[in-house]
Amino acid sequence: MLQDTGKEPRIGVYVCHCGLNIAGVVDVEAVRESARFLEGVVVVRDNRYTCSEVGQKGIADDIREFKLNRVVVASCSPRLHEKTFRTLLEKSGLNPHLLEMANIREHCSWVHYDNHEAATGKAKDLVRSSVARARLLQPLARTKGRVLPEVMVIGGGVAGISAALYLGGMGIKTYLVEKEPSIGGHMAMLDKTFPTLDCSLCILSPKMVEVAECENIKILSYSEVEKVEGQVGDFRVQVRRKPRYVNEEKCVGCGDCAEKCPVKVKDEFNRNMGTRKAIYIPFPQAIPPAYVIDEHNCRYLTQGKCKICQAVCERGAIEYDQTSYVETIEVGAIIVATGFQPYDPRGLPQYGYGRFPNVITSLDFERLICADGPTYGKLKRPGDSTVPKRVAFIQCVGSRNEASGGAEYKIDIDEEMGSSAGSRDPKAYCSRVCCMITAKQAFMVKEKYPDAEVYVYYIDMRTAGKGFEEFYQRGRHEGIVFLRGKPGEIEEQEDGCLRVVSEDLDSGCILDLVFDMVVLAQGLTPPEGLVEFAQKMNLSRSEDGFLMEGHPKLRPAETAIDGIYLAGCVQFPKDIPDSVAQAGAAAAAAAVMCSKESIEIDPLGPVIDDKLCIGCKLCEMLCPYGAIKVELTDKGPKAKSIEVACKGCGVCGASCSTKAITMKHYTDSQLTAQAKAILEVV
Amino acid sequence: MESVRRKDVPVVTVLDPKFKYEVAREPGGENIKYCFQCGTCTSGCKVAELDSKYNPRKIIRMVILGMRERVLSGDFIWLCATCYTCHERCPQDVRIPEVMNALKNIAVREGYIHPAFRAQAELIAGHGRLYEVDGFANEKRTDWGLTEIPQGCPEVAEIYGITGLHDLLSGGAGGKV
Amino acid sequence: MKMAVFLGCTVPVRNLSYELSAKRVAGELGLELVDIPDFSCCGYPVKSVHHETAYLLAARNLALAEERGLDICTLCSACTSVLTEVSRELATNEILLDETCKSLGMLGRQYSGKVKVKHFVRVLYEDIGLGTIEKAVKRPLDMFRIASHYGCHYLKPSKIYDGFDHPEAPESLDRLVAATGAFPVDYRTKKDCCGGAILGVDEETALSMARAKLDDISNRGADAINLICPFCSVMYGANQRKIGAGLNVKYDLPILYYPQILGLAMGISHEELGLMQNPIRPRALIAKIS
Ligand SMILES: Cc1cc2nc3c(=O)[nH]c(=O)nc-3n(C[C@H](O)[C@H](O)[C@H](O)COP(=O)(O)OP(=O)(O)OC[C@H]3O[C@@H](n4cnc5c(N)ncnc54)[C@H](O)[C@@H]3O)c2cc1C
Ligand code: SF4
Ligand code: SF4
Repeated sequence: MLQDTGKEPRIGVYVCHCGLNIAGVVDVEAVRESARFLEGVVVVRDNRYTCSEVGQKGIADDIREFKLNRVVVASCSPRLHEKTFRTLLEKSGLNPHLLEMANIREHCSWVHYDNHEAATGKAKDLVRSSVARARLLQPLARTKGRVLPEVMVIGGGVAGISAALYLGGMGIKTYLVEKEPSIGGHMAMLDKTFPTLDCSLCILSPKMVEVAECENIKILSYSEVEKVEGQVGDFRVQVRRKPRYVNEEKCVGCGDCAEKCPVKVKDEFNRNMGTRKAIYIPFPQAIPPAYVIDEHNCRYLTQGKCKICQAVCERGAIEYDQTSYVETIEVGAIIVATGFQPYDPRGLPQYGYGRFPNVITSLDFERLICADGPTYGKLKRPGDSTVPKRVAFIQCVGSRNEASGGAEYKIDIDEEMGSSAGSRDPKAYCSRVCCMITAKQAFMVKEKYPDAEVYVYYIDMRTAGKGFEEFYQRGRHEGIVFLRGKPGEIEEQEDGCLRVVSEDLDSGCILDLVFDMVVLAQGLTPPEGLVEFAQKMNLSRSEDGFLMEGHPKLRPAETAIDGIYLAGCVQFPKDIPDSVAQAGAAAAAAAVMCSKESIEIDPLGPVIDDKLCIGCKLCEMLCPYGAIKVELTDKGPKAKSIEVACKGCGVCGASCSTKAITMKHYTDSQLTAQAKAILEVV
Repeated sequence: MESVRRKDVPVVTVLDPKFKYEVAREPGGENIKYCFQCGTCTSGCKVAELDSKYNPRKIIRMVILGMRERVLSGDFIWLCATCYTCHERCPQDVRIPEVMNALKNIAVREGYIHPAFRAQAELIAGHGRLYEVDGFANEKRTDWGLTEIPQGCPEVAEIYGITGLHDLLSGGAGGKV
Repeated sequence: MKMAVFLGCTVPVRNLSYELSAKRVAGELGLELVDIPDFSCCGYPVKSVHHETAYLLAARNLALAEERGLDICTLCSACTSVLTEVSRELATNEILLDETCKSLGMLGRQYSGKVKVKHFVRVLYEDIGLGTIEKAVKRPLDMFRIASHYGCHYLKPSKIYDGFDHPEAPESLDRLVAATGAFPVDYRTKKDCCGGAILGVDEETALSMARAKLDDISNRGADAINLICPFCSVMYGANQRKIGAGLNVKYDLPILYYPQILGLAMGISHEELGLMQNPIRPRALIAKIS
């Protein structure tokens, strides 16, 4: 029962106060009056809250009474309420695409809060241009899309593991993609966890085993997502499976191979402090419990001779001829849980990390104090393997740092550690977990070595969390000294000890102290390669570099893209309980999605006029999603849209030299009318 | 309470909340309000280590609190060696030595110029340089095969006139110095 | 390569040997240094008194170099900092450039924002290059241990110096020293300030700051301090006796300007480099070399 839009446009304009959000800055009445005599406008109103019951009813009544065939709402961002008003139009018998929104809140009152007059002027311009576009809107038919009842979780840290377990438990087929040889993420590297000090792997490894045993979960370890196509309900994901050179099914993890392997290299799982073989398993509890050959260091794979592991493996699991391949997996929803990478303190060379062996980071500390670590749990300082008696912790290293006054330096102090070390640009945000990590680690030193002197340099202690403040108190009770005041630098003495000068704000003294070891509480930064990953998935990142949630309060586990959800530190630094909680939320949202039979798809994308298309392939070259291809037809080469891959970005339409492409809902005439109206001098 | 207060406990009852904005408007003072009192600046400051009168963190604190008179009239603001150690490390990009310059600039306008700095400024106005290049100096230069340097540079005095520093130093045109 | 040499206030009157050796060495290395007699004080000393005046003084100096189509090469680190800061500001901030031009107009001058500024030693390090310098060495100074004093404004604020060396772990001077064959001495207080800027405000603190370094360097058994700034030279050279006298110790730590060290290594005679005109006469050093 679509209304015939061939008729003259009859437009209703609704200007929203949004309480004082808009009306506090923009003169709403003036904006309303400015729209009254615009061409095609039949009725104008202002509402305190257009999205409220009353506001919506008003619009519905007007549609009936004034026979409106277009609606313009001037209010907040369409990201918030476009859906609300489209549904309203549909209920009132209008095609939902006959709605146009002018964002006079985010784009106007909020950003121009200090200039009421200019904000009002801009609001008028935006409304005028929306009316101009509304006149040319066309009804569009929505299509129905299928929903695959399967989910992919990308990233196998505690967040990804938890999400997969929730989904698997609901009977939903779940693929867990992990780029490393084992799932587990950072939590597998930790010794104990705050505030209860349970052993990290003791609580994580049962969950990892559960994942392996759950028949609904398929682990794709040593794999990375290469490409994502399609849309909510119907994604096609290409996953690159890297060769393990070990048959996962045949390997029982006996370790005979590693024992005989002649190549020793630095062990990244132990933060390069120990060694491993070229054939290895990252840690004993790894899932899948299969060995892997490091192709960059394997003697056979690099030099063509050796094959010792193949000779000793009784199960015949070694397969040197494995190659990487791409597997395409179709799912209805995706959860991104790719975690974080720790800040690399070499970006702040005043602290000497990488130059002074006894300056370590908090993650290094976890490995050093862990029974499975390079020192078998004995805290030994890396410089000379002695047990430190005086240990200092420095907080906020790489966090809460607007800009180290310095420039990007051309020189590099130490390249030894390679890329796994993480980002070096200090971050403005608070990494949220470091205060508790430091409190925990300081406590662990005291617990193992009660005579050790332990000092924590901090700017603010942030211990908001269940049991956190009590834990901090317990640390003080144990004799840990918390010092307010951040040291500016660390100096190394000839004996390898470290001199730290600080201002103790509370006593007013300059403290000039010497320590055997200093632990830098490195911040948490976005995971390696997140920029490219986000581009592949079409996801936005927030200013801090992490992935942006659907709404900072109300959709914390969603993204702006339907069908893609977030869990864990990839959204922002958080601790384990929060990562698990968010994983639950993401799993619930994905499950809701996957329980639908079908979904309606917005009819966006190109309409190609074969008569004008000359098959030049410009659009094919430019489309970031590979969603338009030139095919040979009986009329010559012509562009064809691949609807499932198209995200409606409009690049093809904008670039087509013969104007053969019209974007649905964003036609050239609509956009030009809108632009002209906004530039009109009134 | 007033009557029983002792002198060695500094009790401040009046603050000027506008002072921090005033400093932030001055070139170099722009970022002062970002300071979160971490003490990094003072921890590395060689002057602060040797002279208890000087503590950059505390000076910034006093500005943010609004102790205008105390800061501007104090001789401590003239103690910054402008070594930029703190500037490099301040996590909030407060640019401390530039803040100190901003404070000194305001202090000068308020009539508090340190005599050493006044002397320097006047020397430069007079000779165009900190040191006069007299005939003797030029003779030595030519002996060494180095070019002669003109004595004085009148354009410098003109610059002092254009910017108003001349008036400030001579106490005219609102200058209190 | 041709640049305008900016001498500043102190060098042409009090550190002639620095100027002399720099010009001598530059000539040998194909760096032509042009004098501009009209240069005035860079502006640095008035920055803390009157910002605008300091900027205008600096801008006038930049304008003089621009008139001759030359970039500026400085010998004093404080001059380097204010001239670099102002040249960068004027190159990027059009409003400021406009205002500055109005004032310069009253002096009959103009400036378009093109001049770049570099410390002489940075020119050696970046533009001439360690390779060329090593090749120019005829008499390696392998008998000397030399401690470099970086000072502050040669490296900081690092934002205005494109990060050519790292202020927290500097190495350019040590590498330049090593290029002459001498042994670069590392010492704990390497990055510290000489204290010169507050000599007139709190002499005791200023001299203590200088002293900390003198002690440290002497204890390291250095034959000389390598300096690149006339301000620092006032502290370690002219004031060395005064510091010692107050403590009843006699420091005998010659100061050398980097171009003197390089010049010696290039085989230039110590007379031509003005070694005996330095505030501390490096007699023992000269004896050792000849
Ligand atoms: C030193 C330290 C100590 C800590 N101590 C505690 C503590 O005591 N208590 C506590 O509650 N929290 C602690 N934390 C925080 C805790 O580590 C995190 O909350 C938790 O690890 C977050 O889990 P995650 O799954 O979001 O991320 P991660 O653990 O980082 O897992 C992400 C996973 O995704 C994988 N991945 C990354 N990119 C891709 C990709 N493109 N494709 C496929 N897979 C990918 C990674 O390999 C990794 O396995 C600590 C953190 C640190 C640094
Ligand atoms: S270092 Fe910066 S933020 Fe910290 S106290 Fe000093 S000025 Fe404030
Ligand atoms: S710049 Fe000033 S405040 Fe900062 S460390 Fe140097 S002397 Fe201290």
